[in-house]
Amino acid sequence: MARLESIENDFQSFLLTGSAEIEKRVVGTQRVPIATRLAIYGNGYRSRLIETLEAHYPALLALLGEEEFAALGRAYVQAHDSSFASIRFYGGALGAFLAGYPGYAANPWLSELAHFEWAMNDVFDAADAASVDVQALGLIAPEDWGELGFDLHPSVRRLDLAWNAPALWRALTSAQPHPPPDAQARPVPWLLWRRELQILFRPLTGLEAEALDAVRQGRSFGGICVALCTALAEEEVPGRAAAFLREWVESGMIVGMRTCRE
Amino acid sequence: MPPHPSLGFGLGLRVDHYETILHDLPAVDWFEALTENYLVPGGKPLYHLMRIREHYPMVMHGVSLSIGSAEPLNRAYLDELKALAQRIEPAWISDHLCWTGVGGKNLHDLLPLPYTDEALKHVVARVRTVQDILGRRILLENVSSYVSFCDSRMTEWDFLRTVAEEADCLILLDVNNIYVSSINHEFDPHEYLAAIPIERVQQMHLAGHQNHGDYLIDTHDHPVPDPVWALYAAAVRRFGPVSTMIERDANIPPLGELQLELAAARRVAASALIDTRWQRAG
Repeated sequence: MARLESIENDFQSFLLTGSAEIEKRVVGTQRVPIATRLAIYGNGYRSRLIETLEAHYPALLALLGEEEFAALGRAYVQAHDSSFASIRFYGGALGAFLAGYPGYAANPWLSELAHFEWAMNDVFDAADAASVDVQALGLIAPEDWGELGFDLHPSVRRLDLAWNAPALWRALTSAQPHPPPDAQARPVPWLLWRRELQILFRPLTGLEAEALDAVRQGRSFGGICVALCTALAEEEVPGRAAAFLREWVESGMIVGMRTCRE
Repeated sequence: MPPHPSLGFGLGLRVDHYETILHDLPAVDWFEALTENYLVPGGKPLYHLMRIREHYPMVMHGVSLSIGSAEPLNRAYLDELKALAQRIEPAWISDHLCWTGVGGKNLHDLLPLPYTDEALKHVVARVRTVQDILGRRILLENVSSYVSFCDSRMTEWDFLRTVAEEADCLILLDVNNIYVSSINHEFDPHEYLAAIPIERVQQMHLAGHQNHGDYLIDTHDHPVPDPVWALYAAAVRRFGPVSTMIERDANIPPLGELQLELAAARRVAASALIDTRWQRAG
């Protein structure tokens, strides 16, 4: 298999780095020389990956325009190979790539918009799970609440956003005039999730974010209450925690409840 | 005849058409789902796939098997493929006679193989392994190519035929790809058809391409052009009423437009079959 392996290595190096070794191993014709033939593969490789970036970052594409997005895409493709069976998952590092991209150092909202869009992609095809019915809460005995743990829907994502990325996204993906990028006074916690097939997102108060993050860490209702104690008077805590929980259950975000001893 | 009965005339299942398909239940005999589009945990893609599957026969068509890669088979991919097949219960599973990457990379392209004894042995052994894992015979499709290798010692059609015979797999004959490669590599596409064993051709693809003057690029973004229809007629005369589908991957028109193209495929096939009967009768 040695020759097959070396041909494939040379071909792959040509696509990934432009290395010319493969030229010696292929034949052209008078009508279509080797360079033209190989260029079809080189162009196809880059354009296919840039197309998948376009498909998964529609707001960023609308904001930058096709030409500038393609330049960004070429730089990303240069820096990132794919090891994914499905091309859907190529492009997950674009937010981080943008944060370090010298051309956009002055535009930090671009990176955040990319993070937001990628989170939307993940919410879109996260695993399915049946949500707990709100009536189930009424069946829990008072003494069981303390050790009750909760499973979140696999689509639930949490982001802290320093810019108005969701407002930008909403305008850009519906071809509306978009607001100017706007820095928030402090990062705003956002929640994204899917209910049935519908993608939803909303900002959270600091308190709700704290409670939700406790659930994401696998903590029980008692643990959520402990997390809220720093910000609330003790007597207020169980009522607020229960209200958050009810809201999450009604939103389809809770898919399981179980005993959880901390 | 190939082992599975013909499904008739189908289309590639595309996201743009999900709603129309479920609303209108159009007269398309079957759909071909792109495997990798559904190798996701859940949500809309799998929801639509399962709902459409309730109404139509389906086959699965993959692009990441990389049967000709020099690196070991990707077992995780095969497990995912098998799990999806258990949910979809496709009439059959196909991928391409190509490689898509080495060293853990996926180049997301269907890259050509050198037609050597070494590659042949390697591919045959891998097809057998894949078929053992999946518990069924697979179909391999001929790809369009733009280069040939100095190492090659046989024609593409001899390579394809020998792989199919020695690994005991089936063939998805892409008529457009044969035509595109016949221009790019200056061979006679009819010689290609004549070399392919009739009983192994389970499915045919029809598609369009871009004409760059001296060469063609297999873009699947145009209607099926006349020379491909002519070659399809020749293929039907040789292989009979094989399951046929139109594969459009970009510049995707409304479903109705593809149905008209599919109706054209039915006419070309019917007419070719009549020719064959006349020839036999004569």
